[in-house]
Amino acid sequence: MESSKNLSPNPTELIDWLNAEGLLDLDWDFPEDGDLFAAGLDSMAVMQLVVAVEDEYGVELGPDDLTRENLATPITLAALITARTS
Amino acid sequence: MKPGVRRFDVAVIGGGSAGLAAAVTAAREGARTILIERHGYLGGMGTASLVHSFCGLYLLREEPGAVIANPGFAEEIADRMTAATGIGPLRFGRVDVLPQHPVEFVTIADDLVAAEPLLETHLHGEVAGVSRDEDGWKIRLAGMAGDLTVSARTLVDASGDAMVAVWLGERFSMASAGHLQRPAYVFGVRCPTSINGEFPLRTSGLLVEGMRAGAVSEEALGLSFRASGRPGEMFGTLDLTGGESVENFDPLDSACLGTLETRGRKVAAEAIRWLAMRDEAWRGCYISHWPVRAGIRESRRWIGEYVLTGADILAGTRFDDEIALATWPMEFRETAKGPRLKFPEGNRPTGIPLRSLKPAGIEHLFVAGRCLSADHDAQASIRVMGTCFATGEAAGRAAARDSGSSGNSDRIDSARQ
Repeated sequence: MESSKNLSPNPTELIDWLNAEGLLDLDWDFPEDGDLFAAGLDSMAVMQLVVAVEDEYGVELGPDDLTRENLATPITLAALITARTS
Repeated sequence: MKPGVRRFDVAVIGGGSAGLAAAVTAAREGARTILIERHGYLGGMGTASLVHSFCGLYLLREEPGAVIANPGFAEEIADRMTAATGIGPLRFGRVDVLPQHPVEFVTIADDLVAAEPLLETHLHGEVAGVSRDEDGWKIRLAGMAGDLTVSARTLVDASGDAMVAVWLGERFSMASAGHLQRPAYVFGVRCPTSINGEFPLRTSGLLVEGMRAGAVSEEALGLSFRASGRPGEMFGTLDLTGGESVENFDPLDSACLGTLETRGRKVAAEAIRWLAMRDEAWRGCYISHWPVRAGIRESRRWIGEYVLTGADILAGTRFDDEIALATWPMEFRETAKGPRLKFPEGNRPTGIPLRSLKPAGIEHLFVAGRCLSADHDAQASIRVMGTCFATGEAAGRAAARDSGSSGNSDRIDSARQ
């Protein structure tokens, strides 16, 4: 299972992945700097996101990682995952 | 009430948001009305189940500013609630929601029914059966002092579960267990810290930590918190999965419901214990209040003269005989993973026709609230309390006219049998 972990995502891949996981329902042209909270990311979705990120990228996001700033857009979220991967 | 058959023009079964609206409206229209509620207070999901938002009160719009969709009883309740809480509508994306406090709702409902001389409110009344003969409806009540029967010319089913259909042996619709909207278990939490800023997101992280540590059940993935509007108080809302096997979920089965609720309490208690132990902001927090019952979003639906559909909601269909507007997006909670919202094209409101409040082929019967005649998708929009006030009001008005007791003489004549 560890070998199947993906490498850190770019923002566009992240948008596809959020949709595929059913975490959010983003339009096909959702911008990389689009507002994820406005698109429906709430505290419940954030919990599912944290679990899914751990499964997909092998990264354990903790309480201190989950700020509005870090989760704001596909760009900032991809940066957070990448930072914790490396 | 003394034993024996007492006669009313209109009987309303169920004192939730729809039944309250129906009974108060029928009495205001001039009908001698009885409102039958199984609990010791009115309000249903908004009180006994602690559902703390009125959704569906306002039109959907991109522009800021909340605009009431259904003037009348819904607006009256909204005004009274805002006067009680000091809180107006909040905007989440495209939807406006009025936070409501269940304790205030109980008091508002008490005041509303007390102001109607023609309305008798029968609390702690469990309906044991309904039948119909040449004199009209007979409603058998099981109470602590023994059975009691009341009669009425016109009946409103605001039970939420289409109970009258069961008693009459009539057809109804119900989604399969796997598709039914999941119930919510809402509980009160006392907490020295107020919820704001990063608190909810941080809490999500703490809960996942608790799951990794084995201290919190994974069912807490369906848990969220919101400030109640009162200092030091918030509500936790846990979306219940529907049990070990989702395919066995049955909100109408007492054993299933009781098991789910017991499980909800366990999951909630574990989560709060973990949070209070693990985090400074949560220190000293405790659960202050369990609901009387889980918040049921969907069970049986009546089959009426018209069945409102998801396609109607998406297109914003309007009807000549519409009695209220549905404005809440279809909110699907078929899993315990949070809502999936489907918005109508152009944020259009949808008319709810009077025919959706009239069970097909049954005279002198109206239905209001979440069990009116709609398919599973449309029910995901019309089930919310803001819309239930409006369909309840319409059912109460129609029932008063149908019973021949309405103060509007032109319409009484045409409604008389």
